[in-house]
Amino acid sequence: MDYINGETIAIVLFFIGVWGLIARRNVMKTIISIGIMQTAVILYYISGNYIPESVPPIEEIPVDAVVADPLPQALMITEIVIGAGITAASLVMFIHVYHKYGTSNWLKLKK
Amino acid sequence: MNLYWLILLPILFGALYYLLPVRISKYISVVFQVIMVALAFDVFYHVKNYGQLIHNIGNWPDYIGIALRADELALVMVLLTTVLFLGMGLYQLKSNYIDKLLVFLTLVLEGLIIGIFLSNDLFNIFVLIEVSTVIISILIMFKKDSQAIYDGILYLLINVVSMLFFLMGLGILYKTVGVVDFYGVEKGLHNIDNARVLILPYAFIITSISLKVALMPLFSWLPKAHGTPSAPSTISAILSGLYVKSGVYLFIRVQTMFSPQIDTKELFYIMGFMTAVIGFILAMAQKDIKLLLAYSTVSQIGLIMMGINMNSPQAQMGGIYHIINHAFFKSTLFLTAGMIIDVYNTRNVYEIRGVWKRMPYVSVATILAVLGIVGAPFFNGSISKYWIAYGAKDSWAEYGIMLVNLGTVITFVKYTAMLTGFKKVKQAKKENTDILQNSVVIIMGGLCFIGGLFSEFIVEYLFGTELMIDTVSYALKSMAFILTLIIGIVIFKFWLKKSSIPSKLNRFELSFNGICLVITLFFVFMVVYLDFQLPKG
Repeated sequence: MDYINGETIAIVLFFIGVWGLIARRNVMKTIISIGIMQTAVILYYISGNYIPESVPPIEEIPVDAVVADPLPQALMITEIVIGAGITAASLVMFIHVYHKYGTSNWLKLKK
Repeated sequence: MNLYWLILLPILFGALYYLLPVRISKYISVVFQVIMVALAFDVFYHVKNYGQLIHNIGNWPDYIGIALRADELALVMVLLTTVLFLGMGLYQLKSNYIDKLLVFLTLVLEGLIIGIFLSNDLFNIFVLIEVSTVIISILIMFKKDSQAIYDGILYLLINVVSMLFFLMGLGILYKTVGVVDFYGVEKGLHNIDNARVLILPYAFIITSISLKVALMPLFSWLPKAHGTPSAPSTISAILSGLYVKSGVYLFIRVQTMFSPQIDTKELFYIMGFMTAVIGFILAMAQKDIKLLLAYSTVSQIGLIMMGINMNSPQAQMGGIYHIINHAFFKSTLFLTAGMIIDVYNTRNVYEIRGVWKRMPYVSVATILAVLGIVGAPFFNGSISKYWIAYGAKDSWAEYGIMLVNLGTVITFVKYTAMLTGFKKVKQAKKENTDILQNSVVIIMGGLCFIGGLFSEFIVEYLFGTELMIDTVSYALKSMAFILTLIIGIVIFKFWLKKSSIPSKLNRFELSFNGICLVITLFFVFMVVYLDFQLPKG
C-alpha cells in the first residue's frame, strides 16, 4: 500500500475540490470546494518532503540526525492565514449577493 | 535606497492617510504619487547605469530568503505603474466618489503591483497576487451596485481557484528542485535529467498564469471585471491598463524560468493569435462601451502574446513596447468613456451621439487614444505593431496581424461613431467642466502620440536596445493601414450596423461552473500537450 501517502491523497483531494467547482451550482458549495482545495495543497506541502525519523531544526541537532525541511511549514502557515482571509472575504460577499439577488445559484445569478 | 521601500511606502502612506482629514490629505496623496515616480526613476537610473540589483531581505544567502530583483524590465513596469497611478490620482481628485477607503485601497494596490514586479520569489508572488485579488474585488464592488457585486464575487472566486492551481504547481516544483526563487529554480532545472517530471508543475503554473493573462479559452472573467458598469472608471483603467500586464510579465518570467527544459513558444504564439481574433470578434459585437473596451483589451493582449512568443528580438521588444503603449491608450479610453457615461447616462454605443459638440476636450483625447490603438502612422501603436509584424515577416502570421488590425479598426470605427452626429439627449446633465480630468486625459492621449514620434529613442533609453524603423516598409505599413481603415469603415457601415449576428454573439458568456470547467480542460490539455512534446524518458 505504498501509493497511499500524503501526496497522492492531496492530488485526489485537490481534484475532488475541482469537481465540486465544476458540478455544483451553489455558491456556498463553491466556497467549500475552494476550502477543500486549500487543504489539499497544505497536505501536499507538508507531506511532500517528509523524511521518516527526521528531527526538527531547532536548538541543538545531533550530528548524525536527518533534519526536517522547515520551509514548507513556514509557507503553509502563510497559506493558512491567507486561506482564512479569502474564505472570510468570499463569505461576506456571498451574504451581499444573497441579499441582493435572493438566490445562491450561479446560473440564476447570471440571469 | 533599499528596494522594499518601493513596495512598503505606498502601503504605509495609505495607512497614514486614513488619519488625516480628506480635504488636505487628497492633495498630499498627489504629492506622494509624484515622489513615488521620482523614487522609481531614481532606482531605474541606478539600474540602467550599474546593472541589475538583487536584495536578499534579511541578508540570507542567495535562494534561501525572500529576494527582490530589479532589472530593466521590472523597473520599466514599476515606472509605468507609478506614472499611471499618478494620472489616476489626479483624475479622481475632484470626483464625487473619492473617499478615504478608495484612496487607501488604491495606494495598497499600487504597493502590491510594484511588489509583483520586483519580487523574485514564487511564493511571495502568490501572496501578493492573492491579496491584490481581494483588494480588486472590493474595488470592483465599490459602488455596491448589484451587477457589480456579482462581478466582484465572480472575479474573486475565479482568481482564488487559479492561484490554488499555481500553489499546487509550486509545491510539486519545490519537491523537485528544492527552491522557490526564480533564479534558483532556473539554475536547478539545468541539473534535471528527465524533463518529464516537470509536466505537472509546469501545467499547473502555466494554467493559472494563462488565466491571469486572459488567454483564449480563459478570458471570460476579464470583461466582467474590467467593464463592470458601476466600478469607478479609474479602477477599470488600472485593471485593464496595468493589472492584466502583471500577468503578461509573470508569463515572461515563468517562461524564462522553465526555459532550460520546456519550450512552448509555438503553442502560446498560436494561442495569442486565437485570443486576438476572438477578442476583436466579441468586441465588435458589444453595445456597452465599457464592455467593448474590455473585450478589445483581450484582443490586444493576444497581440502582445504573439509578440513575446516569437523568436525574433524585434518582435519581443515590440510586444513589450506594446504593453506600455496599451497601458496608455487603454487607460485614456476607459477614463474618457467614464466621463462620457457620466454626461449621457447611458452606456449604449448607438445611443451616444454628438460627443464632439458637447465635450470637445474629451473627444480630442479619445481620438488620440483611438489613433494609438488602431495603429495610425506616427502613433505609438503603429510602432509596436510594426515591430511585431516585422518578426512575423513571410509567414501566415503577417496576414494574421493584418486581420487583427482590421478587427481593431472596425471595433473603434464603431466606438468613434459616437463622437459624430447631433442627436438630442433626453436628460441633459451638466457638462463636465473639471479642468483636471480633462487635462489628465488629454495629456495621456498626447503621450500616445509622443510614444510614437520618439519611439526609437524611448525604447533605447528604457531597454538599451536599438531598433531601427525602415522608412520604406513603414510607409508601406502606413498605406496598408489606410486601406484597412477604408475597408473597416465600409464593413461597419454596410454590414455590422445592420447585421443580427452581433446581438447573438453578445449573449455568449460562461457561468462560474463553465469557467472552472474550462480551466480544468486547459490544464488537461497542457498535460497532454507536454506529454507529446517532451522526449520520452
